[in-house]
Amino acid sequence: MPPMNTKRDGAPSQESSSFALPVVSDRPAAAPDAVGEALEHAAANADSAEHGYGQSYWRSLEEKLGTSEYMEESRPEFPVGADLPPTGFIRREFMQLLGASLALAGATACSTRPADEKLLPYTKTPPEVTPGNPLHYASAMTLSGHTSGLLITAREGRPVKVEGNPDHPVNQGAACTFEQAWLLSLYDPSRARVLRQGKTPRAQRVLNETIASLVGKSASENGGSRVRFLTEAVGSPLTSDLRNHIIKKLPNARFHSASSNQDTQAETLRTLFGGQHVAALYDFSQADIVLSLDADFLESCPGNLRNIREFADRRDPRKGKLNRLYMAEARFSITGGMADHRLRLKSQEVLGLAAAVAQAIGGSAASLAGAAAAKSPLRGELGNWVQAVASDLRAAGPGRSLVIAGERQPAAVHALAHAINNALGNGDKTVRYIQAPIAEATGMSEVRTLVQDIEAGRVDTLVITAYNPVFTLPDDVGLGKVLSKDHPARARLNVLYTALYEDETSAHVDWFIPAAHPLETWGDGRSVEGTVSIAQPLIQPLFNGMPESELLAMFLDEPFRPAYQLLRDYWRGQTANAADFEARWESWVAQGFIENTASNPVAGSPDFGAAASLVAGYTPPASGDLELNFVNDYKVYDGRFANNSWLQELPEPITKMVWDNAALLGPDTAKALNLAPGDMAELTYNGQKLTVPVWVVPGHADNTVTIALGYGRNGLHEQVAKGVGFNVNPIRTSKNPWFDGGATLTKVRGSYKFSLTQTHWRMENRPIALDMPISELEHPSTETQHTLHRVKGELKPGIQDNLVDFDYSKGYKWGMAIDLSRCTGCSACVVACQAENNIPVVGKEQVGRSREMNWLRIDRYFEGPENDPKMVMQPVMCVHCEKAPCEYVCPVNATVHSDEGLNDMVYNRCVGTRYCSNNCPYKVRRFNYLHYTAGKTATEKMLMNPDVTVRNRGVMEKCTYCVQRIERARIDARVNKHLIKEADLKTACQQTCAAQAIVFGSLNDENQLVTQLTEDVRAYKLLHELGTRPRTSHLIRVRNPNTALEPAKAATKEGSH
Amino acid sequence: MSRLSAAALLAVPAIGIGGLMAYVRSPYVTNQQMPIEQPIEFDHRHHAGDEKIDCQYCHWSVDKAPSAGIPSTTVCMSCHAQVWNKSPYLTEVRKAFFADSPIQWVRVHNLPDFVYFNHAIHVNKGVGCASCHGRIDQMGAVEQFAPLTMAWCLECHRNPEPHLRPSEFITSMTWTPPSDKAEAIALGEKLKDEYDVHSRTSCSTCHR
Repeated sequence: MPPMNTKRDGAPSQESSSFALPVVSDRPAAAPDAVGEALEHAAANADSAEHGYGQSYWRSLEEKLGTSEYMEESRPEFPVGADLPPTGFIRREFMQLLGASLALAGATACSTRPADEKLLPYTKTPPEVTPGNPLHYASAMTLSGHTSGLLITAREGRPVKVEGNPDHPVNQGAACTFEQAWLLSLYDPSRARVLRQGKTPRAQRVLNETIASLVGKSASENGGSRVRFLTEAVGSPLTSDLRNHIIKKLPNARFHSASSNQDTQAETLRTLFGGQHVAALYDFSQADIVLSLDADFLESCPGNLRNIREFADRRDPRKGKLNRLYMAEARFSITGGMADHRLRLKSQEVLGLAAAVAQAIGGSAASLAGAAAAKSPLRGELGNWVQAVASDLRAAGPGRSLVIAGERQPAAVHALAHAINNALGNGDKTVRYIQAPIAEATGMSEVRTLVQDIEAGRVDTLVITAYNPVFTLPDDVGLGKVLSKDHPARARLNVLYTALYEDETSAHVDWFIPAAHPLETWGDGRSVEGTVSIAQPLIQPLFNGMPESELLAMFLDEPFRPAYQLLRDYWRGQTANAADFEARWESWVAQGFIENTASNPVAGSPDFGAAASLVAGYTPPASGDLELNFVNDYKVYDGRFANNSWLQELPEPITKMVWDNAALLGPDTAKALNLAPGDMAELTYNGQKLTVPVWVVPGHADNTVTIALGYGRNGLHEQVAKGVGFNVNPIRTSKNPWFDGGATLTKVRGSYKFSLTQTHWRMENRPIALDMPISELEHPSTETQHTLHRVKGELKPGIQDNLVDFDYSKGYKWGMAIDLSRCTGCSACVVACQAENNIPVVGKEQVGRSREMNWLRIDRYFEGPENDPKMVMQPVMCVHCEKAPCEYVCPVNATVHSDEGLNDMVYNRCVGTRYCSNNCPYKVRRFNYLHYTAGKTATEKMLMNPDVTVRNRGVMEKCTYCVQRIERARIDARVNKHLIKEADLKTACQQTCAAQAIVFGSLNDENQLVTQLTEDVRAYKLLHELGTRPRTSHLIRVRNPNTALEPAKAATKEGSH
Repeated sequence: MSRLSAAALLAVPAIGIGGLMAYVRSPYVTNQQMPIEQPIEFDHRHHAGDEKIDCQYCHWSVDKAPSAGIPSTTVCMSCHAQVWNKSPYLTEVRKAFFADSPIQWVRVHNLPDFVYFNHAIHVNKGVGCASCHGRIDQMGAVEQFAPLTMAWCLECHRNPEPHLRPSEFITSMTWTPPSDKAEAIALGEKLKDEYDVHSRTSCSTCHR
């Protein structure tokens, strides 16, 4: 039996050499006839047969260019190797083994009764538990200082699904990719289990005694002046209280807050508000015009969910006038994909752009702009853009626009953004300044101070609770160096480190303390807008982890209190009236947060005079050669989710790459450097060299290269993360941690095989993901009318009704509507589906053969010129055709229709012919080529949703519209004798979508939102002309371009071929 | 002679196939009529029969959850702390209770993992315990009464009326439909309307 393929396979094609696999890159250079074929292909695609749809869409650069490589790959419908038998598993051997086991079975199977199963009752059933029914508990997750409110589903004590807490002000029911996939790490068998000193396992008591003696000694000797703590940014009231108590005990000890993010926004606001800790909150619901200066505010991050919801509401023509988003950025981001006008430029040019806009706006902004413009001159050709944006911002009126700067940008850009907002009168309207939930300086400079102290021999004891700082920080910060065995200062240093995994940092420490997963312990934290969440555990620690709060409490040298006690004691102390604490505490824990704890507005207004120093203090990075950009990854963040196979296998929203990072380039730059996707190149930067694989992304700014952080992990036991991608932190510097010029890329020998979900299952130049300017929808041109006719026209009887009609007018008629205007493509729904439906992870090699199992995919289309295209995201899952092509080809009736219009998949009938998948025009069916769920450890099995079958090898599967949720809601409703209410039934993808792009319900109820959306003017059915009558509608995405920059109709034919 | 041998030639496969089909439906294969030995000699004849303890006293989640529930050891001890509290029959129960370790009951009704049966909806819609589980009050060791094959499920799902009973008799072991045929049919129709019973035969009703 092959092991579960959660592991990336480094050399997929070579491994299967016994099957004489044709490897594209090994072929000789394209022969003349291949070129001719490519031209023919391009010509065929450009022919008039399809030209009526206005725009032509393409899903990958190879497809767009019709290159010979692309031709090679596209000639067979499926990628190379898709039809091969599984490797490492020889069929003949399998038959032999099968024969042997059958013989043995024959010898023993005298009874057909399966082996006895045991039923284990509770000794005393907990009062809240009804075995078989799920329970929901409010809890919380903290990521980069923001604590979000979650609602976690538990089945008989096992947490199985993370959703957003519907009552939490930021989440409002939604959850991002990280929050959901976080649950997988709870059950991760590679988590650390052993508390050790050096290589010797120790009891917790020994640790406790060691710390107690250390605290006692250093308190009396020097007040703890030789003790340092390195923590994450502390948003938790309990942790800051513990910190204050430790400082009382050890007055000279120092706390440093590490962060892989240089928090320039906080730094800027501190300067603007005279040293106060201030945070800015944005209100996208009021902003008609938004200018984003490299701010990826729609990224699927816990703190962004409110942004996403408010922004999406402003993209929906049903909710009134559309907003307009201008975006200036280097790489193509999720937010860039939502922009009406996206400007590609180097990250270092953003300052110049901000300055030009500030100058054009005038007022308080203009004074800063002069100095900034000198540091980053603006290219002349961008003047037009700046003028258009500035006049649009002004025209919106006071308090109706918003300028937002990205976290990768220096403080100078943030200062300009705030100044422009101030000049536009956005203060207190679309921008609100509140007291920061994290009231401390954080960032690399803090770590740098610590390293200097260590180097100078001023530190004896270092306690690290921050996430893996040796890996996440640039090497030149020097933490890894001072912690390594041969550093002279290391000998006298005693390092304690607590983490979930034995990672890069743990290799250097003296004491390693396995941490309790936050879902195993009590805690608290504050959200971006200040609301305090109480995090309760869902399960006892699985691997003997110790909560961070208990570890810190050891330094108080007090009698042991468990995390629960610490938290309760702290909050009891915060409650004025101790008498009603018990009742309040119960309600806080039950609802998951403490109401009315949002941060107060800041008194006073920003002082832009002080901001001049930020601009003056800014040193522009080198501008020559390539600009090297570093970004936190959409999937593994700074590396902390690298051991999470759900996220590793999640297609990156833009590149659709899985299990890898790459040096991303724009097409023109790649051409100039003679680099093609999959080439290896040597990256030279700052005197250092790194060999990296290259990938080309349309729309990436010229002369820039973007590399995601968090890959190339080398932790001791992080089995999933190990060796996936490459690590750029060794060449990153703390001076310019996010972008810097002066890098070069040179092609070197070798190629790299990426696995992408992108080019599989193309939709061949048909009107699939529609988008158009809102004006075009209101006054359609002939071309648009043609398109609309094709996707919405009447179906011809006798031709497009190949199955008998069924009367669906009674009862429920399930249907779904997906609004492409709202969808950002953030992929939270993909993770939700994976968690809800027990979808296996298959590994890089299998994805390379188009065997990914995600039921829900997000297709990302580009349109327009490949250097500067627009992007459309389109979630596609089974559309539940009323006349489903899959059904009439199944020889065993394993996929059949339900009376409510569901296209049911019956796993136990399926024999794996795959005819259904061949006949499905939407390519939404997934086949278990291997037994992907075999070899799960006992803890991993606990994660499975017991309401959904865990599929075996050789079975077809696909989206069921979450039929298990329908049936549960139905039974609940029928037991209570009412109809299923719209609010009581949500599919997993719909439930988690912050943008509310997915709506599900019964089309027989005209009051349900799904019915209204299905009848909306924008609604259309995918591949309508086939007559499959899908139950899922997609809603045309509308754009709101500025006519000054994009005259109506200008873009319709551009770039098609 | 040739006719006879031809008939025999045809008959052999027919009988063979028929025999196999009969075999897989036989109680031997469906595991019916096989009393299962349990770690504790719990006797439903005594509890449900003689003492007339309602099914739901122990299987309390039957009307609100997919699973009818195996009573927790506390439920056993709620009586047996008072009665038979020194009986050697109950040593294992007391041990399990005081050691807080579950009694390892052996499962009798075992549906395949791809079948999602829900007790709550059946019990709420007028399907009695005895309809599927038989006369539990007459079983020393519980055995599987019904074949639990898909054909057997569908028999009722296609035509539920004859299997419905008034909800006050849900747990009754002795309730029988009226002996008069017309009356029985009328009762079935009435209960079907009253309880809003649907005949659900879509695959996803049970398979997910």
